[in-house]
Amino acid sequence: MEQILEIANSPMMWVFALFVMLIVFFQAAVFIRLVKRNAPQIEMSKAEVNKALRTGIISALGPSLGIIIIAVSLITLIGAPLTLMRIGIIGSAAYELTAAGIGAKAYGVEIGKDGYNLQAFTTAVWAMCLGGLGWLLSAALFTKSLGKVQQKIAAKNTKMMALISTAAMMGAFGYFVAGQMVTGVSTSLVLIVSAVTMAVLMMISERRSIGWLKEWALGITLIVGMSFGYLTTIF
Amino acid sequence: MNQNHDLTAFHGKAHFWGRLTLWAVVAATIIPPLYLSFVLGYHPGWGVILAAFAGVAAFVGVMWILEPVSYFPSLGISGTYMSFLVGNISNMCLPCSAAAQNAVNAEPGSKKAELAATLGIAGASLVHITVLIPIVLGGAILVAFLPPAVQTAFQFVLPAIFGGVTIQFAMKRPVYGIIGVFMGILITLLPIPSFIKVMVCVSITIALTFLYEKYQQSKRMLAEEISVQEN
Repeated sequence: MEQILEIANSPMMWVFALFVMLIVFFQAAVFIRLVKRNAPQIEMSKAEVNKALRTGIISALGPSLGIIIIAVSLITLIGAPLTLMRIGIIGSAAYELTAAGIGAKAYGVEIGKDGYNLQAFTTAVWAMCLGGLGWLLSAALFTKSLGKVQQKIAAKNTKMMALISTAAMMGAFGYFVAGQMVTGVSTSLVLIVSAVTMAVLMMISERRSIGWLKEWALGITLIVGMSFGYLTTIF
Repeated sequence: MNQNHDLTAFHGKAHFWGRLTLWAVVAATIIPPLYLSFVLGYHPGWGVILAAFAGVAAFVGVMWILEPVSYFPSLGISGTYMSFLVGNISNMCLPCSAAAQNAVNAEPGSKKAELAATLGIAGASLVHITVLIPIVLGGAILVAFLPPAVQTAFQFVLPAIFGGVTIQFAMKRPVYGIIGVFMGILITLLPIPSFIKVMVCVSITIALTFLYEKYQQSKRMLAEEISVQEN
C-alpha cells in the first residue's frame, strides 16, 4: 500500500492532474469571455453579466464543499493527484470509488485490502479513467446535434422553448427531491425547510426589490437547511 | 427580436471551444493509466483492463448517453460542454445555473437565460477547482479539522440544494412544480431500472406540461368564442 501511494503521489501524477485542472480553468475563462462579447447583442448589460457570474460563484461554495468533504476519502486509496483529477472532472466520489472497486476486483482483489498491489492500482485507474471517458465523448459528440434540434424548436415557437426548459428542470428536480424524501424523515424535513427558506427569500427580494438577495439566496438556503439538518440529529 | 440579435456566432464558438476542451481532457485522462502501464511497467494485461471496463460500462454505460440528452434542455449548449467536464450536474451545475438565471430575472428558455446559465456554471466550475486544490494539497487533515457538527450538517447538503432549487422554479410555475414532484415520487417508487429514471421523469414531465398548456389554450379559445357569440 505504501508503495502504491508513493507512485500515486509522485511528481509525474501531479503534473497530469494539474494539466487537467488547467483545461477546466481555461474552459471556464473562454466561456466567460464568449458571453461578455455576445451579451450586448441580446441586450444583456455588463452589470447583469457580472451579477450572473457572481451568483454562480456564491451558489457553488456550499455544493462544492459538500462534494469535496466526501471525496477526501479517496486520497488514501488512489493518492492526492488522482483524487484532484477525478473529482475536478466528471466524477462524483461515489462513482469513482465504485469504478476503482470494480477495477481492483477485475484484477482479483479488493481495493485497499490484501493483494492491492501496483498492478491492481493500475487496473483501478484504467477503470476510473475509461469509465469517465463515456460522458466526455457523448457530450463532445452529441451536443452539436442537440443544439440543432433546439434551434429548430426555437425557430418555430419561442414559447415552446420556455416550456421545455422549465419542464425539463422540474422533471429532473422532482426526481431528485423524491429520491431524497425516501431516505428518511430528517432529510424530508430539510427539504421542506430549505424550500420554505428559499420561497421567503424570493418573496422578500421581489417585494422590496433587493437585488443582492437573489445572488445569495441559494447560499443562505443551504446554511439554513444544513443547520436544521444538524439540529434534527441532536434531538 | 431582430434577426441580428441572435446567438448564432456565440453557438458556433461555443461548439468549437467546447469540443476542443473536451477532446483535450479525453487525451489528458488517458495519459495516467498509460503512464502507469507502460512507462512504469505495472501493466495488468489488456484482458483485465477490458474486464474492468466492461464492469464499469455495465454500471454506468447507459448514463453516458442518457445524461447528456436528459440535461441538455436545462443546460443549453455551452452549459453542456462545461457541466460534463466538471461533473456534479444535479448537485452543483444545475443549481448554480438556475440561481444565476434567477438573479438576472431571465425567462427560462430565453437567450438571456442561456448566457446567464453559462456564467453561473462557469463561476461554479472555477469555484470548484479553486476549493478543491488547497483541500487536496492539504490532504485529509483540513477536513479532519472541521468540527463534527459541520461534517454532520454537510450530510444534508443534497436535500437543502434540491429543496431550494425546486421551489425557485415551482413558485414561477406552480403547476409544473406539482407535476414534476408528483412524477418524481411516482417514478422513484415504480420498479423500473434506476438508470433510466431521470430520463423518464424529464420526458413525462415535459409531455404533461405540454398537454396542460394545450388544455389551457383550448379553454381560453373556447371562452373567447363564447364571448364572441354572446356579442
